[in-house]
Amino acid sequence: MELTYWWILPLAAAAVTITAWLHRRRRPPKSRPIAHGERLTDLPEYQHALRRHRARLALAVVLGAVFLAATATAAARPIHRSTEQPEIRNRDIVLCLDVSGSMTSTDAAIAAVFEDLAKEFDGERIGMVIFDSSSVQLFPLTDDYQFAAEQLTLAKEALDSGTGSFFDGTWNGEGSSLIGDGLASCVQSFPGTDAGERSRSVVLATDNFLSGEPIFTLEEASALAAEKKVKVHALNPGDMDYGGQPDQPGAQLEAAAQRTGGTYFTLDSPDAVQGIVQKVQETEATNYLAAPRVVLDDAPAWPLGIALLSGTGMLLLGWRLEP
Amino acid sequence: MFIFAHRRTLTLLDGEYGSVFKGRSLDFDELRAYVPGDEVRDIDWKATARHGSPLIKRYVAVRRHTVLLLMDTGRNMAAQALSGEPKKDIAVHAAGVLGYLASRHGDDVGLLHGNATASKYLPPRSGEEHLERLLREVDASASLDGPASGIAEQLDYVLRYLKGRLLIVAVADEFLPDAHTQSLLRRLRGRHEVLWLTVRDAELAAVAGNRMQQSTDVGTGQGIPAPLTVDAKVRAAYAAATLEREKRRRDVFHGLGIAEEQTTGSEDVLTSVFALLEKHRSRAFSSRTSPQGGNRAG
Repeated sequence: MELTYWWILPLAAAAVTITAWLHRRRRPPKSRPIAHGERLTDLPEYQHALRRHRARLALAVVLGAVFLAATATAAARPIHRSTEQPEIRNRDIVLCLDVSGSMTSTDAAIAAVFEDLAKEFDGERIGMVIFDSSSVQLFPLTDDYQFAAEQLTLAKEALDSGTGSFFDGTWNGEGSSLIGDGLASCVQSFPGTDAGERSRSVVLATDNFLSGEPIFTLEEASALAAEKKVKVHALNPGDMDYGGQPDQPGAQLEAAAQRTGGTYFTLDSPDAVQGIVQKVQETEATNYLAAPRVVLDDAPAWPLGIALLSGTGMLLLGWRLEP
Repeated sequence: MFIFAHRRTLTLLDGEYGSVFKGRSLDFDELRAYVPGDEVRDIDWKATARHGSPLIKRYVAVRRHTVLLLMDTGRNMAAQALSGEPKKDIAVHAAGVLGYLASRHGDDVGLLHGNATASKYLPPRSGEEHLERLLREVDASASLDGPASGIAEQLDYVLRYLKGRLLIVAVADEFLPDAHTQSLLRRLRGRHEVLWLTVRDAELAAVAGNRMQQSTDVGTGQGIPAPLTVDAKVRAAYAAATLEREKRRRDVFHGLGIAEEQTTGSEDVLTSVFALLEKHRSRAFSSRTSPQGGNRAG
């Protein structure tokens, strides 16, 4: 607790002193001379009334002093100084889901997690792309969280059931699970090449079992992502690498993710998705903390509150003192 | 209209009041036997013829009375009266009326005024110029920064230093005579004729529908805050106390046999003065005074 304009307090004290001095110098108010005042002042009723009057005056003086002190303090702008490390919430996230048959339960879990997250988003943009042999942009990057949540709900239901027109347009290419193409489409969802102030990340869910001939290989797609400063966070529900060779699908995916500065997770069950997404979020959050800064909050509530109370008291007293 | 005297005057100067002296006038008093030295022209021949020895006709001489204005000019009189004017203005007004009546009647008018510490005596003289001087003296003497009032001091002065029979017209405020003052008044009443005019004091408690002002007691310098005088309980207690005091005052003056009348303001002075004179003449104020025939001449 400190005061912005501390010099107001001595100023106010000086003003009060000068006013008191002027008041003392002022000629006394006109009073009529009377004789035999003791006829009234000696009455016990008068004595009683006089004591009450004096008590009221004393109370009025106290309230007035409190009022002046409180208003002077309020005028001096009391502030709360606190240090804050604000999280920059200007991320763009594209969910990039491989909707080949083996992935649907993981995709549903991811959709469910992001459906919940979208409710708390503030400033982030979220988009969604699904792919199999060709990719479909379900919804572009948007900050209409209500719409995103609706779409995610639809997606979750469709992924749970695994049927319906939801997957239309994902089999237009030759083969299936053309992961390089899918990732490239996801990366293309970010507008322009310059990331500007906003961070970009792709949550890529795939098992990296490629069947078919993609236009982009995974390496090429990840290079594209790195070029556009997009981090790829890969989730692999079926990491079944044999040994540590770099040509195994899991290792390839991990390499691709790390090339973009992203992370790689293997999933044992769809229930783990939530924890992993949180982890991704936290990494992102720590990466995007702004410099600590001092925050000054005005705290006029308590002096003004006291002033209001004492002012009300003075009004009531004044009404009693000057009937 | 003049100040009626129930008792005979003791002065030697000619006037219109009955005197203790015998002399020539229209008021026949008695016949007595001729003693050498009596004037021959005073002999009542008819009575002498019937009686056989010379008798002298005696008349009550008519003489002047001396009117003494006994006035309080202490600090109290500079305070407000019931009408809001300074009490001394009303006192001067009343003294002027009484003095004018007396001086037109040919009486001498004197003044004794003062406060608790000092009394000042201006000997009786005739004439309106003298009266004017007296009134100016009263007006100049009573001020808010002067000494406190104490009418007992003036009563004592009269009893101690002034000889002869006087018609005393006292003008003071609404004080309640204490035992000492009452005994002084009793003695004064025994020696002189006393008329008492009271100038009523200002109301201290608020009157309904009247905006009250802060008051300052001229006696103690204590202020009386206006809000206190509006308090219903204080007002009720004050009204009761006022009634009680009024009654006691009335009883005191009644017991002393002094005609007393109250005046509230300058519009009311004439009525009050005439009522006082009438009360004094008719002796309606007291049942204790023995009936004594008026003996004014002429």
